[in-house]
Amino acid sequence: MTNKIDKLSIIITGVGGQGILLASNVLGKAAIYEGYNVIGSETHGMAQRGGSVVSHVRIGNVFSPLIPKGKADYMLAFEPLEALRNAEFLNEKSIAIVNTYPIIPTTLRGEVWKYPKVEKILTELKKFSEVMAINASELARKAGSIKTLNVVMLGALASTNFPLKEENLKRAIREIVPPKTIEINMKAFELGKIASKSQENRLF
Amino acid sequence: MKKEFLLGNQAIALGAIEAGVKVATAYPGTPSTEIIETIAKLAKKFNIHVEWSVNEKVALEVAIGASYSGVRAIAAMKHVGVNVALDPLMTSAYTGVVGGLVLVSADDPSMHSSQNEQDNRLIARFAKIFCLEPRDARTCKEYVKEAFEISEKFQIPVMLRTTTRVSHAKGDVEINLENLEIGKQHGEFIKNPSRFVVIPANARKLHKKLNEKLKAMEEYSNESGLNSMSLKGEVGIITSGVAISYVREVLQEKELEDISLLEIGVTHPLPRRLIREFLEHCERVLVVEELEPYIEDYAKTFNLCEVHGKDFIPREYELNVNIVKKAIYDFLGLKSEEKSIGISLDLPIRPPVLCAGCPHRALFYALKKVTKEKIYCGDIGCYTLGINPPLKTIDTCLCMGASITKACGMFHAGVKEKPIALIGDSTFLHTGIPGLLNAVYNNANITVIILDNKTTAMTGHQPHPGVGFTATLEETSRVEIEEICKACGVKFIKKVKPFELEETTKVLKEAIEYEGVAVVIAEEPCALIARKLGLWKTPYYVDKEKCKGWLCQACRACIALLSCPAITWSEGKAEIIEELCTGCGVCAELCPNEAIKVKEDDKQDR
Repeated sequence: MTNKIDKLSIIITGVGGQGILLASNVLGKAAIYEGYNVIGSETHGMAQRGGSVVSHVRIGNVFSPLIPKGKADYMLAFEPLEALRNAEFLNEKSIAIVNTYPIIPTTLRGEVWKYPKVEKILTELKKFSEVMAINASELARKAGSIKTLNVVMLGALASTNFPLKEENLKRAIREIVPPKTIEINMKAFELGKIASKSQENRLF
Repeated sequence: MKKEFLLGNQAIALGAIEAGVKVATAYPGTPSTEIIETIAKLAKKFNIHVEWSVNEKVALEVAIGASYSGVRAIAAMKHVGVNVALDPLMTSAYTGVVGGLVLVSADDPSMHSSQNEQDNRLIARFAKIFCLEPRDARTCKEYVKEAFEISEKFQIPVMLRTTTRVSHAKGDVEINLENLEIGKQHGEFIKNPSRFVVIPANARKLHKKLNEKLKAMEEYSNESGLNSMSLKGEVGIITSGVAISYVREVLQEKELEDISLLEIGVTHPLPRRLIREFLEHCERVLVVEELEPYIEDYAKTFNLCEVHGKDFIPREYELNVNIVKKAIYDFLGLKSEEKSIGISLDLPIRPPVLCAGCPHRALFYALKKVTKEKIYCGDIGCYTLGINPPLKTIDTCLCMGASITKACGMFHAGVKEKPIALIGDSTFLHTGIPGLLNAVYNNANITVIILDNKTTAMTGHQPHPGVGFTATLEETSRVEIEEICKACGVKFIKKVKPFELEETTKVLKEAIEYEGVAVVIAEEPCALIARKLGLWKTPYYVDKEKCKGWLCQACRACIALLSCPAITWSEGKAEIIEELCTGCGVCAELCPNEAIKVKEDDKQDR
């Protein structure tokens, strides 16, 4: 049993259907492998019909299933607008990993110009925390399926100073994803890791 | 023994199984649904009868019958479901139970997925039954086991009250199913009419007995390990449920470590002696609880010290660490430093929408074509999303089954327009049938549209009596909604396929012109079920040559009238997102330029 982590909070944001719950399950399982207490909170029900979705994962000496404002150490944002919508959870020391591929809300499809420019969103987000921007949707397609977007994001997270061990994240992914998709998911994980390390994919 | 990262609801399910539950019932409703879903997956292995009941009253009554027969039973529902089950609940407290009976009430402060945020601790008090309130996933499992124990000991139903942030909170939970004895027990009903037949002569005696039982229950509450008290300084906090987690997190701060704390796990009956002792010790107390001032009002009756609560803690919506911290700081007269950075961009909202290929969208589109200004009485389900522009085909939404009955009331009130009721298949079977029967019997002149997508979609596709299989995927007889309508005495009943727009429009027009109760059943499986069954068709594409873009004579009808997640706008023209398109074809039918097409040579099922 290791006890390096006192408190660790990760917020995962995006749009219903992007595979956010799986990503939080991976983090929860990896934390259990390392002997930590882990809690969290998820969005179910009505909000999952293409609406904004948020999942909180908290590890160590914590009680609240919801992360207090300004206390998220990491953000995995599967969609740029949803990153900014939850910016209040970040602080100057947090790292926000943002997928730059936007999903225009259905209500704005006739007025697409009302969706803010992704560069502007990222600049705004930069006021709150360190930002790492990658086109994770494109990488997921490259790995073999847009459904691996969540694992690309986890790969990117593993490339930072994230305290849970990479091998435990991978072990959790292998246990959780459908067996047939393990191979493309492992590819997705590597693509996320490489992309976030390469400067050209980092808009900031 | 191993640990898993589980939802509070999954932990409740595992706790119930470990407690040897024999019968588990529910009608699906967020945030309660995963309890029965989890038990259903393990039902065969542990010999448990699990069912999706047609409504919550039925669910609770089935559980009561099982309990009368001496086995342990659980009924799970959302907070408003308890209203539907209130009739059996109130009197089951009089008769008492034999086998342990647990009613899970999953409340929804902030109304993430509900029509109100009633606080069901008040229902537990009203019904004079136990109420246990877990605070996280681990206590969910622990408390449900205790709930079965005390239900049997005191022969009373126990409400296990959760909230969204407990039911859908996750945590590492130990699982001990390996060595569990598989339930071989058989129920046995031992007759006792003076107890189980609530004729007035018996009920009078039973009520007196129940009031005496309450005293013993309060004694249990005083001694229960589910409450915990730590007496320190003269300033104290009393809290319960998920608010305990928020308070604990705030009290981690060094300067607050002298605060006395009373955490209540048994919220009915409240631990009178414990609360008295706490109030005697303290000078000033803040009650931190979500929604109603339930503990606060009780604590104020002692007149022992200064008690605060809703003067610092909001009475609406769920709490969080930030709200609780501010309240505690204000209560103590401390200044909290909350710096916040503003966002200088306008963030467009992202509300939930009907899925791409949803048959409700096609039906709504057809309905709008034949009815410009009608009254649309809606119900509870995915189709309530029809409230949003551009569809705007929902004018009322009150509670399960109320669409048909509200329409009747409007008709009898003499409104000029003939009201149209819109109700889903699962909701119709839940509480819609009596309304339809009533409409026919009392000569209403209304149109009823039953949106039959063959599932309970909003809560995640649970089966119902119109589907042909049970919660544990066993085959069963399938009820025809059409036959039910016939039996209710409806003379005009027609079925349509909503994607056949022309025919649907024609039938809707006929139904609206008909004098009397007319029923249209719009049959088409939910798009998400259709995908699982491999029923999605070849996706459409936009012929950019033919699409007139901004110059469209129908004002970009594909986007403006449908609000389909698969249709977007790119470089001045419409565009279809291939991976989302189900091939339903509604957009192709309304495009005046015939720009939306399927490639002839790959017209095949995906």
